[in-house]
Amino acid sequence: MKNWKKIRESGLENQLLAGKFLIREKVMDAVRKFFKNAGFREVETPLLVQSPGTEPYLEVFESELVTPGYDNKKSYLLTSPELSMKKLLSAGLGNIFQICKSFRNGEGLSSFHNPEFTILEWYRVKADYLDIMKDCENLFLFILNELGLNEDGKNTLIYQGIEYDLSTPWERISVSEAFKKYAGMSIEEMLDSEKLVWIAKEKGYEVDDQMTWEQAYNQILLNEIEPFLGKKEMAEEMNTSKKNTGAAESTGKTKPTILYDYPAYQAALSKKKNSDPRFAERFEFYIGGIELGNAFSELTDAGEQEARMIDDLNLRKKLGKTEYKMDKDSIEALELGMPQTGGIAVGVDRLVMLFADAGSIKETLFFPVEDVFDY
Amino acid sequence: MIIKAGSIRKGMYILFKNEPALVTKTDFMSPGKGSAFMRAKFKNLKTGKVVEFTHKSTESVEEIEISSVQMQYLYSDGTDLVFMNPDTYDQVEVPQKLVGDKAQLLIPEAKVYIMTYDDQPIGVIFPQKINLKVVYAEEAVAGNTMGTAKKEIKLETGLIVLAPIFIKEGETVVIDTETFSFVSRA
Repeated sequence: MKNWKKIRESGLENQLLAGKFLIREKVMDAVRKFFKNAGFREVETPLLVQSPGTEPYLEVFESELVTPGYDNKKSYLLTSPELSMKKLLSAGLGNIFQICKSFRNGEGLSSFHNPEFTILEWYRVKADYLDIMKDCENLFLFILNELGLNEDGKNTLIYQGIEYDLSTPWERISVSEAFKKYAGMSIEEMLDSEKLVWIAKEKGYEVDDQMTWEQAYNQILLNEIEPFLGKKEMAEEMNTSKKNTGAAESTGKTKPTILYDYPAYQAALSKKKNSDPRFAERFEFYIGGIELGNAFSELTDAGEQEARMIDDLNLRKKLGKTEYKMDKDSIEALELGMPQTGGIAVGVDRLVMLFADAGSIKETLFFPVEDVFDY
Repeated sequence: MIIKAGSIRKGMYILFKNEPALVTKTDFMSPGKGSAFMRAKFKNLKTGKVVEFTHKSTESVEEIEISSVQMQYLYSDGTDLVFMNPDTYDQVEVPQKLVGDKAQLLIPEAKVYIMTYDDQPIGVIFPQKINLKVVYAEEAVAGNTMGTAKKEIKLETGLIVLAPIFIKEGETVVIDTETFSFVSRA
């Protein structure tokens, strides 16, 4: 049954059902209050653009802009508001945030994806990814309090029957520590394409001559690492079975996990680490094995940015994805100067799902895609 | 039939690590805006064990053919449930663990579908509703006429369900085989 009919049948007073939808408004209010209290400006940037982000694996929704007297222009719904927001950073707006829709086409059905979804992005100037980690910790505690879910002051979020301790600091583990701890691999094995593919084969994954570093890396990450992030019991089980780790210590409580310092191939729009350029200043954070956000120390070097975008667009072409022009303004914004900035995108639907204690974002969206289109 | 892992759907039967498995959940994934993966839960049809695995969307997997034949339930020997094909009199033994709680819905001669793969029984499909006799029900207390009042009744298979207070011992009632709940008088 479609969600709007379920709500009609059960009534708004049915907290078990309707509460999961109505909590969205409260979470959004809390997010806005958090950033406004911290002096961030809320901005709006276009959803319909000529040059969306160049992420090679994301597919876009394509349309056409018709203006009488002018040639029609190919137009696209953006996959994230990142490029426009960086122009505003270059324009000197300082700390900014935005809650808007983003669109990704060609994704399969899933409990954690919807083709049209709500994204929260914030950018903190004169800051880096370490500052954004703290923002994440503080934001989650703030929402917990605003929703009245922290009356005992224990900073506990109950999600799907498990108690998560949101107190700061959260667990932090680098990608290379995680590969060592959960998959038993060294940094050299993880970063070397040939070695990594060979290990994937040894581990029993299907490997053909098309297998790329990216696929092997992500398949190991998804099967052997991600399910344990922000999920204490299983992680400890792994710990006892593989006593060779010495990585992050156990706190005895289930905490969100910040996975940081991504291999430079996965840098996207993040800065490489000065101390070890094989890695980039990027993190994602997880609760209960669910990825909630993706953050960078933002790349501010225009030349490197342009080179990465050209590579991305070439890879898009090779992968058969929709082709479009690079957003030259976003390069110019860096040429003109953008302050050193930490930035992040958080999936608001997953955030709502978490605080609603729902197993799928589809239980919190009034109109998930399955209720809008015939499947 | 060979399909791409990206096309795996809930309810499909897949040969997973060379064992027949039912797909119980699927989730598309694209880690870190990366390439496409399909995370799915596979319930091994022989052991009942559920395993999560994430395939590359482009990886090949084998969707398998499951056949099903209507059979009658005969008896349980403690570990297996024994069914008979009423046309051929062939008997099959289905491990009780494949049926789980639903064994509590079986009475002799009950008609169900037995699913087989490679001539091995791998599961039992029940009709959506079945009729069962009430073997114990407390008398309704006089004066308690609230329309929503429920009481526990015991059925001939030993299953206990909630039913309206007017249901009496000896009656036959309709039970939903998915939720194990009372539907109506038969």
